[in-house]
Amino acid sequence: MMEPLARTLRQRALIVALTRRELAARYRGGVLGFLWSLVNPLLLLAVYAVVFRFVFAPRADVRPYALFLFAGVLAWGFVSSALIDSSETFRNNGPLLRKTTVAPEVFPAVAVGARLAHLLLALPVLAAATVFAAARGSIVAGAAVLELPLVLLLLVLTVFGLALAISALAVHFRDLRDLVGNLLTLAFFVTPVLYPVEAVPERLRPFLRANPFAAFLTAIHDSAFFFRPVAAVDWLWMVATAAACLSIGCAVFERLRDSIAEES
Amino acid sequence: MGRADGGNRVTRGRGHAEAPAISVENVTKLYRRYGRKRAVGSLKSALLTGLGTRALSPDAAVPALTEVSFQVAAGETVGVVGANGSGKSTLLRLLAGIVRPTSGRVELRGRLAALLDLGAGFHPEISGRENLEISGLLLGMSRGEIAARLPEIVRFAGIEEFLDAPVKTYSSGMAVRLGFAIAAHSDPDVLLVDEVLAVGDAAFAHRCLEKFSEFERAGKTLVFVSHDLSLVSARCRRAIWLDHGRVASDGPAEETVALYRERVAREEGQGRLEVAGAPTARIGSGRAVLESVRLRDGEGRETRRLRSGQAASIELVVRAPERLSDFAFGVGIATVAGSPVLGINTEADGLRPEELSGEAHVVLEIPALDLAPGLYSLDAAVHAQGGAPYDYRRDLLRFEVTAERASLGVWSPKRRWRGEGGVRWKP
Repeated sequence: MMEPLARTLRQRALIVALTRRELAARYRGGVLGFLWSLVNPLLLLAVYAVVFRFVFAPRADVRPYALFLFAGVLAWGFVSSALIDSSETFRNNGPLLRKTTVAPEVFPAVAVGARLAHLLLALPVLAAATVFAAARGSIVAGAAVLELPLVLLLLVLTVFGLALAISALAVHFRDLRDLVGNLLTLAFFVTPVLYPVEAVPERLRPFLRANPFAAFLTAIHDSAFFFRPVAAVDWLWMVATAAACLSIGCAVFERLRDSIAEES
Repeated sequence: MGRADGGNRVTRGRGHAEAPAISVENVTKLYRRYGRKRAVGSLKSALLTGLGTRALSPDAAVPALTEVSFQVAAGETVGVVGANGSGKSTLLRLLAGIVRPTSGRVELRGRLAALLDLGAGFHPEISGRENLEISGLLLGMSRGEIAARLPEIVRFAGIEEFLDAPVKTYSSGMAVRLGFAIAAHSDPDVLLVDEVLAVGDAAFAHRCLEKFSEFERAGKTLVFVSHDLSLVSARCRRAIWLDHGRVASDGPAEETVALYRERVAREEGQGRLEVAGAPTARIGSGRAVLESVRLRDGEGRETRRLRSGQAASIELVVRAPERLSDFAFGVGIATVAGSPVLGINTEADGLRPEELSGEAHVVLEIPALDLAPGLYSLDAAVHAQGGAPYDYRRDLLRFEVTAERASLGVWSPKRRWRGEGGVRWKP
């Protein structure tokens, strides 16, 4: 049943090579090369810092808000760009699919892998900013940050499950990409990226918690910003979400697998 | 020993050494064709018409292959011939496992390498080395194998000094050579090749053929699709002719090729098939363009049927959007099987270019066309001196040469027999 996942794991050398190619091709043309991957998050962070210091009043409950926002936006950026990329991946890799014996699972994996690489490259910026904030006494860092890798692993599995389903379905439904884009914009606001869960009125919280990404964002903020252990209920949600997304993704992909090389 | 056993023994006797490398059993492949309304599937329309399998079901299915069965023993070299659209490429894609049969079974034993498009998946922005690694992985090699064979691959492709340059700086020939080199060194048990020798230069084609011979000697299985019928009959013991998705003939290569040629000649004679076999290949920078090519008989009438020994002319209509001072025109004639008969150009014939601009007509006059009766294919080109093509078109048109007397070969000169001594013919 989890065949697509098993095939993906078998093809990891190819996935790594194709992901590297994706990144290399994207950055090679530019003067700054890989530095771009640092420049983007740095600029983002700088804009947040300026805007929420001088333009908008920052939230009183999360300080420094720019850092809180940065952590959330990095994670959400990974989710949304990986899912959008996976909706286009078979269309963009038509020649490889039709002319080589490559396992199609490789392409959604590369779409997720390339975005994951961007996220991982931006983490040092987050770490540096956190150290800076801690040095100024704005926050008190703690050991809970060690939970972050596990949270990210579950997030990657969830996104990969969704990417499998979206990529395969997008072969048949060309407008899926737009739908995914719209849903992600919507989801951005009903997921605690810009605000902590506590900021939401008590009676609306259950609805918010029904969104599986709420658990991930809360967990990321808990471990990397508030430095408090991730709540058990969030762990439960995340594990359940990852398992569900992976099984559904694999099932959908396996069902449509044969048609991918023919239709894209 | 019973009869059933005796029947089994044939396969078992061969299978004693090895089971067939390729086994295709009653394979049918239907391609989906969607109606005009659903030319592009959309989720919205699927939701509106009711989501379900109905949205995914084809309005009509077009058969690409119908009830195809054959086996290929390990170590055999098999050529696949047939007109465009006869299902050759679909067959290779089925063998490669890229698409699945609608019904029937395809089985392959051993490691497979499919060369369906040389350099498929080369990314222009990254270096030859990085592309080589990805192609190797795509062909199922491990990183260790790739690293070990890298020097040999690079030498075979002849791209040593360009290995770390981005592939976008490669000439198309270099990319093709690299693509072939990787596949040839991936050490497959079964190699599937789709018409790749048509690209690349003669020296490279020769090296490819040597590599094929090496495969054969090493007992590897080779299936290749080609429009070059003489290559198929020279290289393969066995050939399969596909006609409209069915196996029209499967047997000794020379026999199959002869049957296929006969059909092509018949259809051409009826003027039904403009270009059988090879797709019209067209390469070049486009700085000058061949707009049309006309074949005329001695009286100046346009025709596709010429008489041996009579005058003929070939007219090239060329357009050069910008003024060119470096140009030459070339004409080539080959048999439909691909053997060259004539290859000439204005540069080699001593014409020195001065100016080519706008529309121009270039006429090659042949006082006596001394070709043997048969079917021929015409290539024409406008290119720079030295050969860089502006517009090079292979197999542009085909024509028939007729003669009163039959003869073999390609040359049928004006001739006379004489006898002296003790030989005499009836008056």
